[in-house]
Amino acid sequence: MAARKLIAALGACALLATGCGGSAPMGAGGAAAGRDEGPVKIGALHPVSGSNAVDGQQMRRGAQMAVDAINAAGGIASLGGRKVELVTGDTQGKADIGQSEAQRLISAGAVGIVGTYQSAVSTNVAVVAERNRVPFVADVTASDQVYAHGYKYAFRVQPGSEVIATAAAQYLRQVSQQAGKPVKKVAFLHEQSDFGSGAAEAFTEAARQLGIEVGPDISYDAASVSDLTAQVTQVKASGADVLAVAGYYRDSLLAAKAIASVKPDLNAVWGVSNGAYDQPKFVADAGDLGALYFSTNYHYDATNPQTVALREQYQRTYGDPMRTGAVLSYDAVQVIAQAVEQAASTDPEKVRDAIAAARVQPLTVGNGPIQFAPNGDNRNALAVLMQIQNGQVKQVYPPEKAESRPEYQVTWRP
Amino acid sequence: MTNTTQGAPLAPEISPPQKKDRGFLGRAGVVGVVLVVAIVVALLQSGSGLVVWQSVVTGVLTGGLYGLIAMGLTLIFGVLDIVNFAHGALLAVAMFISFGMISATGMHPYLTLVVAIPALFLIGAAVHRGLLSGTGGKSLENQLLITLGLSLLLENGLLMFFGAEPKTIALPGDFQFPLLGAVVAGSRLYAFLGAILLGALLFWLLRRTRLGTAIRAVAANGPGAELVGINVRRIHTLTFAIGTACAGAAAALAGPLVTVTPTLGEQFNITAFVVVVLGGMGNVVGALVGGLLIGLVEQLTTIYLGGQSSLLGVFVVFILVLFLRPQGLFGRKTA
Repeated sequence: MAARKLIAALGACALLATGCGGSAPMGAGGAAAGRDEGPVKIGALHPVSGSNAVDGQQMRRGAQMAVDAINAAGGIASLGGRKVELVTGDTQGKADIGQSEAQRLISAGAVGIVGTYQSAVSTNVAVVAERNRVPFVADVTASDQVYAHGYKYAFRVQPGSEVIATAAAQYLRQVSQQAGKPVKKVAFLHEQSDFGSGAAEAFTEAARQLGIEVGPDISYDAASVSDLTAQVTQVKASGADVLAVAGYYRDSLLAAKAIASVKPDLNAVWGVSNGAYDQPKFVADAGDLGALYFSTNYHYDATNPQTVALREQYQRTYGDPMRTGAVLSYDAVQVIAQAVEQAASTDPEKVRDAIAAARVQPLTVGNGPIQFAPNGDNRNALAVLMQIQNGQVKQVYPPEKAESRPEYQVTWRP
Repeated sequence: MTNTTQGAPLAPEISPPQKKDRGFLGRAGVVGVVLVVAIVVALLQSGSGLVVWQSVVTGVLTGGLYGLIAMGLTLIFGVLDIVNFAHGALLAVAMFISFGMISATGMHPYLTLVVAIPALFLIGAAVHRGLLSGTGGKSLENQLLITLGLSLLLENGLLMFFGAEPKTIALPGDFQFPLLGAVVAGSRLYAFLGAILLGALLFWLLRRTRLGTAIRAVAANGPGAELVGINVRRIHTLTFAIGTACAGAAAALAGPLVTVTPTLGEQFNITAFVVVVLGGMGNVVGALVGGLLIGLVEQLTTIYLGGQSSLLGVFVVFILVLFLRPQGLFGRKTA
């Protein structure tokens, strides 16, 4: 009796959980509502509640700052100075909710959507955008899958999983050779969704081409993992000389704790699209545990005075350092707003064509202006290598973006 | 609370021991054999004794913590017949109480036990009196929706007050020591020992005190207990409060091991439910042993499947238990 009762309870819970997130009715009937009068609406979809709410809030604020800057500069000139308004949605980090929220923002008259931080959510949002013929400009979305479907309305500002992972493998080879300890074998520890597995696959492919062996490949469930000691012990037993980690914040911190206690025989810990190892917060939380960790990732451009000014303004307003995710959201809003300006129209299809032809100066690190390839990817997106040195995250490679020299040696090895 | 005589969650402890023991030893033997086989297979799979040994050590230590969390849950279920979905959220509340005290006063993380346990005891009592005491005898969905709603309320309340920024609790003077090649973190060992100690204390409370006898009497036969003068409503509130206090204790012990976030409870909630089923619903010792087993299963699954969701192994065990022995390892067969 008791067991049956519990099953019924769990079942009811599951039903309830999915029931809440049921998608809104589809159909583009009211899609054009209100686009022709009032402010030009740009949709921002981020996880502002749930376990990734910190990043979600950062990114929503970044998007809002872009909108404020555009309005302060007189709005959209080609539309007679019409103001821009950010309409926001909360994905809660869930793909189905992201989907219904995207539909809602489009129905509310958004000319384009920026978002969403999680690849799984972006996958669903891209489908909604495609169906409604409204451009979706991803700020943070690592997985390359979305951009392999041949969608016409999906764009992306950040360098994709493959770009970052390939750069990570190349930087690793170059930095380890410079240090006189060329890398031979890399163990890869990653969370198991699109984001972590995608990074691991792309890295493995790139590393093999460079003659670096990758293995073991160890994955874990980021939502439920509470300890990674056994996984790191596997790394230790494998004899790898570098450990690459692709995870979100909480689990990457767990990995750092496990690495500190197991002390595997490594030359370096190498973050690949890692959500922790280039965050000031990680430096504070991990203390000595994270010293000299490397991270290959997208990054705000510390050498651009505009970026510096923006980050100072953010810090003043919100009392918190502005993260790269928020700078990417700022860039993504700029892309849409400049496209509206160019198109002199709020017709999403015309805005889409303007985005496809756009050249926008980014505040994040890039090889040049944001410019989209036919698949929607930013051609000039660039990943940089960072390292935690003396309690600060420094850009260390490639040399033209470096603030400091890479130190290829882990702390626990004298 | 209509059918408690049949479900009799805490009843095995009162039933005559001689009949139950042989079956229990047999079951323990089966579990032991399965574990040994599982470990040997893991050895063959990974080819490294060190990896398997570390998994076993980590599994047991983490399992202690699961056990402690599940003990509170199973007590509430056994006595009140309430499936408390807010257990994880209450754990998160305790974690933030602990975190708040540490950051405000700089006190030692384990000292927060003396605040977290009573605080959660009081919160538990208040929750039961305020929200749940009226639902006895009504449909299951009422309690379910209340506890589920409460967990959402608590999580989002924490999110509002503390923000989603993950927080860490550092244990001053934490250390690592080798155990036959495996690494054991001091904080993990303390959490494990604390769980065992509190489990023993809870067992003693249930078996050797007047309150414990009353709780078991209410669990076995509510109307009967009422007839002999036990204030059933009061016992219900106390039991819910004690169960919640277990979450408080687990929170203070686990603080240095985890990253503190408002949604932290979700990580433990599902695992704790599986532990409760495995250990036999309402059985406190079963919860502790079940916790250790689930901890092991989780770690060994990591070896078998190269780390693909360790929850997969946990759910396989869950389903097997439901099929083969729905009353749990320690529960008595019900009619």
